[in-house]
Amino acid sequence: MEINAVLSLGVQGEEDSYAGKLYILPPYLTFSSVDRKSVRFTIPLSTIRRVERLNARAGIYALSLGLWHGMKIIVQLTSLRPTADVFCSLLRDSLKVELQRGQMKAVKTFVKTCYSEALVPTESSVGDNEREDGSLISEEKDGSPPRESTYHGGLGLKFKFPGDPKKLREASKIKLWTTYLRAHGRNLTLLRYPQCTRLVQVGLPNRLRGEMWETLSGSLYLRFANPGVYQRTLDENKGRTTTSTEDIEKDLHRSLPEYAGYQDEEGIAALRRVLQAYSFKNPELGYCQAMNILAAAILIYMSEEQAFWLLGVLCDRLLPGYYSQSMHGTLLDQRVFESLVQRCLPIIHDHFQEVDVQLSVASLPWFLSLFINSMPMVFAFRIVDCFFCMGPKVLFQVGLAILKINGEKLLEIQDDGGFLHLMRDYFASLGDSAHPQSSDPRARAITRFQELLLVSFREFAVITDETILSERRRFRSEIIHSIESFSKRSAVRNLKSLERFSKEQAGMIYDALYKAMFMVPNTVIATPPTPSLLAANGEPDERPETRIELRTFQYFLSEIATWARDEKVVSNGFQQRIDRSIAEHEFIDRLFFFWDTSCKGALSFQDLVSGLDGVMFNDLMENIEWFFNLHDKNKDGFLSKDEVLTLSETFLFIFRYEIGDAYLGAVSRFMTNAFEYGDALLPDHEKSEEKPDGESTKPQAGSNTPYLNLATFRMVVLADEVLESFFETDLSASFRLESVPDMDLPPSSSGLLGDIWSNIATADNKKIFHKFTDEIGKTIGKHQVIHRPSIGRYTKLDEPKAHESLLTPSMRKSPSKSSLTTTSSTLSIPATPPMLSVDSSKKLPMRPSEYSPLPMVKAANAALMERSHFAIDDATGDDDTDDESERGADDDQVMDEVDAFLEAHDSGLTAADKEVANDLLHAKPVK
Amino acid sequence: MADPASGSGDKSVQVKLVLLGEAAVGKSSVVLRFVSNEFQANKEPTIGAAFLTQKCRLEDRVLRYEIWDTAGQERFHSLAPMYYRNAQAAVVVYDVTKASSLEKAKSWVKELQRQANPNIVIALAGNKVDLVLPSPSTSGANSLSESEDEADDATATPGETPGADSQPESLRQVPREEAQAYAAEANLLFFETSAKTGEGVVEIFTEIAKKIPIEHILASTRGGAGRPGAAGARPGQRQEGVNLEENQAKSKDACNC
Repeated sequence: MEINAVLSLGVQGEEDSYAGKLYILPPYLTFSSVDRKSVRFTIPLSTIRRVERLNARAGIYALSLGLWHGMKIIVQLTSLRPTADVFCSLLRDSLKVELQRGQMKAVKTFVKTCYSEALVPTESSVGDNEREDGSLISEEKDGSPPRESTYHGGLGLKFKFPGDPKKLREASKIKLWTTYLRAHGRNLTLLRYPQCTRLVQVGLPNRLRGEMWETLSGSLYLRFANPGVYQRTLDENKGRTTTSTEDIEKDLHRSLPEYAGYQDEEGIAALRRVLQAYSFKNPELGYCQAMNILAAAILIYMSEEQAFWLLGVLCDRLLPGYYSQSMHGTLLDQRVFESLVQRCLPIIHDHFQEVDVQLSVASLPWFLSLFINSMPMVFAFRIVDCFFCMGPKVLFQVGLAILKINGEKLLEIQDDGGFLHLMRDYFASLGDSAHPQSSDPRARAITRFQELLLVSFREFAVITDETILSERRRFRSEIIHSIESFSKRSAVRNLKSLERFSKEQAGMIYDALYKAMFMVPNTVIATPPTPSLLAANGEPDERPETRIELRTFQYFLSEIATWARDEKVVSNGFQQRIDRSIAEHEFIDRLFFFWDTSCKGALSFQDLVSGLDGVMFNDLMENIEWFFNLHDKNKDGFLSKDEVLTLSETFLFIFRYEIGDAYLGAVSRFMTNAFEYGDALLPDHEKSEEKPDGESTKPQAGSNTPYLNLATFRMVVLADEVLESFFETDLSASFRLESVPDMDLPPSSSGLLGDIWSNIATADNKKIFHKFTDEIGKTIGKHQVIHRPSIGRYTKLDEPKAHESLLTPSMRKSPSKSSLTTTSSTLSIPATPPMLSVDSSKKLPMRPSEYSPLPMVKAANAALMERSHFAIDDATGDDDTDDESERGADDDQVMDEVDAFLEAHDSGLTAADKEVANDLLHAKPVK
Repeated sequence: MADPASGSGDKSVQVKLVLLGEAAVGKSSVVLRFVSNEFQANKEPTIGAAFLTQKCRLEDRVLRYEIWDTAGQERFHSLAPMYYRNAQAAVVVYDVTKASSLEKAKSWVKELQRQANPNIVIALAGNKVDLVLPSPSTSGANSLSESEDEADDATATPGETPGADSQPESLRQVPREEAQAYAAEANLLFFETSAKTGEGVVEIFTEIAKKIPIEHILASTRGGAGRPGAAGARPGQRQEGVNLEENQAKSKDACNC
C-alpha cells in the first residue's frame, strides 16, 4: 500500500523535510521523495521498535517511528484521513506479523555482523559515546580491529586494502561517515539523504565499503532475510562438479592475481566458494568469465556470505543478462551505449563510423567488469561505489565521460588498435593532475579521475535511469533477433551433415525447432547421458546439446507436416481464420523413435535434419520403402498383420480430413488387397517346408509373425492409383518448410504510452476475441468450420481457399499493421539535440521549475574554487592526531570534492509545509 | 586525414591477427610467449579480447601484428565476429591433451572460412605439447584407445593447472597425424606448440607472415579504402624501431582495456 507522506528526521535542523510516498511492502517500509532521488529509505519492519501517533495541529495526521538504532523519524500522512487510518492499521498488522515471525529478535544478531555497528556506538553505550568515538578512529588508524570483531569483513582486513590509506584520506572519510550514520541510521535502517550520495561520490572508506555496497545495492536485505542460505548451498552441493565449477577452477588463479589475498590459498578458497555457491544457486547462468573479477573485487571488502548475496544482486538485477548463456544483456547495453554515444557525442560517433572502429572493442570490458579490469583498482572501486549507489546508469555516464574527455585524441585514431592504445594510456594516467599547467594549486590538485567523475555526473546527468530503460526497450528485439540469427547460422554450420537441404532450408528447420521448444518446453532441458556414460566421457555435463522430447517434437512436426496438425478454417461472418492444433497419433510417436537413431529418447537438430532428409527428397519407390520401414518395428523386412493394420490406421490418420471418398476407398482397397496378397503369398509351402511339423493353422499367420514383405507391400500400393500418387508426390510434399514469421516479443513492462495493441495481442486475448466473434457468427448463422485437408488433391467439392480469403487481410491485419506504424514512429525520435530527446523520453514531471543544469554547474564551479571551510569539518575537534592541521585540510579537500557534486535537492514542500513538519518535531504522542 | 600514400614508404605492414579456441587451451599464453617471450602460469582471463602488438621481421619487410586474443568461454562466442572481422590472419588453438578442443577448433575454422575475410590465413596450433612426450603420437592412434584416454584424463586432471609435470604419453588425446591431416584438408598451416617451453610459437607467426598476401594488403591500404592509416601513418603511435626486444618491453603489460 502506498500513501502520500512528508518525512522529517526526529532531530531539529539535521535535515529538511521531504514530501514523498510511503509504501508498506511487508516486510519492508519504504519511502521515496517526489523527485525519486533525493531521499529514500527501505527499512525492514522488524527494525521499527515504537510507533506513536503524534498530537499535533488539527487536521494533521502524523506518526513517529522509533527505529532500532535509536533514531526517530516522523512521517506526516498527507492523504485523506480514511486512507491514513487504513495505512496505520496495515502497519500495525504487519508489525505484529514480524513480531510473530521472530524477525524482531533476528535484528539484534544480524546488525552485529555490520562494521558500522563497531563504528558507531550502540544504544547501550549511547550515554558515554562521546569519548569513545574519537578513540575508535585512532584505533582504526592503527589498523587493529576496534572492540568486538564480530562484524563481517573482507580479505582486505588481512591482506590490506588496495591504495594508500593516507592518500585516500581514509580517516576523514570515516569521520564523515560516522557522523552521517549516527544521525541517519545505518545498515538495515539507513536513510538515504542527499548527503549520503555525495559522500559516496568522494569514495567510500575501505573498511566501510563492503557494508555500504550491500546496503546501497540492497543485497543486505537478502542476507538478512535468508540467514544460513549461503552455507547451506555450499553444504548441499559439496563435492559436486559441473561445467561451471570446472570453468571456475580455470579462472581462480587469474582473478586479480596482483592482489596479495589471491596469491594465498585463503583468498583463492573464498573466491572458489562464492563463485561455486552462486553457480549452484543459479545453474542456468552458472559461471561466466568476468564474474571472477567481480567476485574477487568484492571479496576484498566483504565476507563470503556478503559477497554471495551481492554477486546475486549484480548478476540478476543490476546487470541483467550480462553473464547469461547468450550474454544478451551485455550485447544490449553495448548497443545502448553506442546509441547514447551517437546521440551525445555525434562527432566521435561519426568518426568511428568513418574509420570503421567498433566502440565495443574497448567498452565491452568496461561494462562486463565494472571497469575493474580496465582501470587501476582504486579508481575502479570508486566507480563501483557510485554504481551501487546510483545504479547502472553510472556505467554509461562514466563511459560517455571517458570518450568526451578524450574527444580530440579520439578524432585522430584510425583503427581499433589505436583506440585501445589511447584508452589504455588514459586509464594509466588517471592519477595525474587534470590541469598540470594551472597556477591555482587547488585546480592542480584535481586528478584526471576526479575530472572524469565530474564530467560523468554533471554533463551526463541527462542520462537517467529512464533513459537507459527506454533505450534498452528500444533495442531489445534487434539484439534478440541478431543473437537468434547468429546462433541459427552457427547451428546450421555445425551440422555434421546438411543432407540434401540448402542452408536456408536447414534454417527453416531450425526455426521450427526453436519455435516448438518455445511453445512446448522440454521437461528436462538437456538429456544428460547416463552416469556410466558420463564417467566414460570424462566430460561431466558437457555442453548440453539441444534435444527435444516427444511432446516438443509433436509441435515441431505440426509446423512442418500438414497431416501432423488439425487445421480448422473458421469463418463467422466477421473474419476467417485458421485454428491450428497439434494432432496426436501413434504415427507421430513412431516417427519420433524412427528418427531417434542414437536411442536417446530425444532428437537433436541433426536428427531432425537427417530424418526429414529421409522423406522429403524421395521418389515413389523410396517413399514406399520409407513408409514400410517406418512400420516395420522389428526391422526384419516383414510387416506383421498387426503392423499392416497399424499402417492402415496411419493412412486413415493422414487422410482424415480429405474431402470425398477417394481416400477412404483407397485405404479399404489397400487392406483388402494386402490381406489377399499376403495370404496368397503367405509361404505356406515355405513355412511347411521349413517347419514340417507346422501348426495346424497353417494359412493363418499369427498377428505378430512376419507377414508382408516390402515387395508385396509395393505391389499392393501400386495397385491403387490414389496410393500411388500419394507416395509419388503427396507424401513428400506434405512436409513443408516455411519460414516462421517473426514472433512478437511479449511486451515488456508497458511503457507509459501504453501501446494498446500490445495489450490486446496476447494469445489469451486473441482467443477471447475469436470466441466472441464466433458467438456472434453463430447467432447470425454465419459460423462455419471446415477442417483443412492435409493433401487436398481429390477435392471435387468446393473447398474454401484458406490462404487467400476475402475478409482476412483487412480484418485481421489492420490492427497489427497500425501497431507497427505506431512503434516505428516512436522509434524515430529525432536524434539531434541530446537534451531534447532525453527529455521527451522522460515521462513524469521531475523538478519542473529548476531543470536547467547550467546555472548549477556554474554555482558548483564557483563553490569548487572559492570554498574555504565547510561546516561539518568543525567536528574535528576531538581528534587525537598530531597532524591535526593537515587532517583538517584533508577534510576540507574531501568536502570540496563532495561539494563539487552539490546539486539542488527539491524537498517538494512549500514553506508552510515545512513549518508544519517542524512543528511535529515538538509534538507529543497522543495519549 | 593522413595521406595514405606516405605509409608505403614505411616498410612495416600492419596485420590484424585473431586467436580463437576453446577456453584454457592456452591462447593467451601463446600470445604472451610470442610477444614478450614469457610464460605466466596465472594469466588473467581474457574479458572479451585482449589486444597486443608485436613486430615480426621477414626478409626485408617488417610485419606489425595486431593481435586480438579472444575469450574462450563458449558464451563469448557471439562476440567473436567483432574481433575477427577484417582480420588477415587467425590462429586457432586447441589442446593436444583434450580431444574435444580440436572439435571446437574445427568449428572455429569453419566459421572463419565462411564468415571472415575471404583471404584470411588460418593456422591451427596444438598447444601444450610439453605435457606429452616429445616423440609425436605413437599411441592413441585409433579411436578406441583415444576414448580410454579421455576417461583417464577425466579422473586425473580436471581443473589441474597445465603446469603439471612430465606426464606419460597417454595424456595425448589428439594424435599429431590426425590434426595434421585435417589441417592439410582444410588448407591450414599446422603446428604443435608449447607456450610453456616456447616450442613452435614463433614459427606460427613467421609462417603466417610468409603466407600473408602482403602486396595485397599494401595495395588495398594504398588505395585508402576503408582503413587509410593501416600502413603505419598513425599519428601519436609509438615509433619503435625494428628491434624486437624493445617492442616487447612496451607491450607486455598489456591490459584488456
